[in-house]
Amino acid sequence: MNLILIIALLAVGSYLVAVIENWTIKGKFRLAAPAMAAMAMLGRESVLSHKPDRLFFETAPVLLLLSALLAIATIPFAPDLIITDLATGALFINAALVYVLVALLMAGWGPNGAYAMIGGWRFLGQLMAYAMLVVMPITAVVMRSESLLTTQIVMSQDDLWNIAYQPLGFALFFIASLALCFLPPFDLPIAKGELAGGVEAEYSGVRLAVFRLGRLMLIFTLAAAIVVFYLGGWSGPFLPPLAWTIIKTMTVAVVMLLAGQLMPRIREAHLLSWGWKIGIPLALINILIVGFLVLMVP
Amino acid sequence: MTAQMFFIGFFGISAIWFGVVVFRTFSMVRSALALLFSQTALGAMFLAMQAEFLGVLQIMMMATEMSIMAIFMVMFMMDPGGMGTMDMTHQKRLSLWAGFVSFVGGVAIAVFVDWGPIAAIAPDAAQQTIDLGLEILGRSMLIFEMAGLTILTAMIAATAISIPELKGKQQ
Repeated sequence: MNLILIIALLAVGSYLVAVIENWTIKGKFRLAAPAMAAMAMLGRESVLSHKPDRLFFETAPVLLLLSALLAIATIPFAPDLIITDLATGALFINAALVYVLVALLMAGWGPNGAYAMIGGWRFLGQLMAYAMLVVMPITAVVMRSESLLTTQIVMSQDDLWNIAYQPLGFALFFIASLALCFLPPFDLPIAKGELAGGVEAEYSGVRLAVFRLGRLMLIFTLAAAIVVFYLGGWSGPFLPPLAWTIIKTMTVAVVMLLAGQLMPRIREAHLLSWGWKIGIPLALINILIVGFLVLMVP
Repeated sequence: MTAQMFFIGFFGISAIWFGVVVFRTFSMVRSALALLFSQTALGAMFLAMQAEFLGVLQIMMMATEMSIMAIFMVMFMMDPGGMGTMDMTHQKRLSLWAGFVSFVGGVAIAVFVDWGPIAAIAPDAAQQTIDLGLEILGRSMLIFEMAGLTILTAMIAATAISIPELKGKQQ
């Protein structure tokens, strides 16, 4: 039952994310726009490039979809509304999301196209920059809850949400989430206007539709993860828990999509340099501060 | 119990099969990702054996590592796509023997080492995570710290020797 409900939530949530994305890019709020775009995409021919690595080409969009789907399995939407409350939940989310990289590498290598290949390898470099900024803030979150159970993480924020308890960790995780979803200003693997679509360049028709759906689900999953790790999950007054999770998740998604529209695309070299020289030291400082707070402050 | 045995067997065979695929393909990216899926199957085996933390960690770590290996394989091999007719294998007799000896060695260790009594019931996953944490920060701390420091030294050394000399010229 939980499984069906959460997948329905994911579907509706991804659709709304698509509506918001359309709104942030084109400035018009049109509820039917993603449905129209999807119908157009499904109606078109799905072209196969010359001498592709067919196995990778076909697997990549599905793997992207699958990794977002697996990550949502350990995210609680309400105290009892979770697919599986794994004892290693917080780590499992990260493990599932690493396969986004594998999917993009496959999508880059598979179609035998120059732009796609550059896009795919670029994302590997991007991962080098953001990976530690995903893991280290999660470590600090787990230090406070003293458990990898995601439900436990939500309950540890009963008194004070983590966004106030460890704002530095939140800022780093938020930026890393944007990079993980390859949203602007970190849309290096796609890079419209520069790589002509990058990893998406050779995809069309139904394959492109699956790829785009995977990415929308990824954005929704990451927004839900931010809510669980930093915004107190389902907790809130008056409304039922599920309503709070949905409101918070959609708000985070809006901020994620808006943030990128205000900034120019970051260069790969700058991303790596800032990620390692500024991001990782800050993440370590965050762990130290949280360690101090957990041990010293009652 | 039977379901557990089935999944251990299934993922074990998958791990071996993907390991074979590594050497059957000529595409470097396929080869690297086949190794990734072999390791992922090992991680799934850990999960089937109720070692949850180890399993998830294995599945997570290998994805990044094997992807990085893929780009190095593409950079260093002459025919990374494997679409040419070039034979990229060498020292076949030596590698055959090396493979055979390590296989026999591995089997011998598995069979002849006294593994001690087998735990009847595995502690639950949350308890395992706690136990592992206490082990790493207790008895095994020195080993882990040494390993970490060694890797860090190697990383710094590798970066240092790969940076071109900047004397007298602008970057």
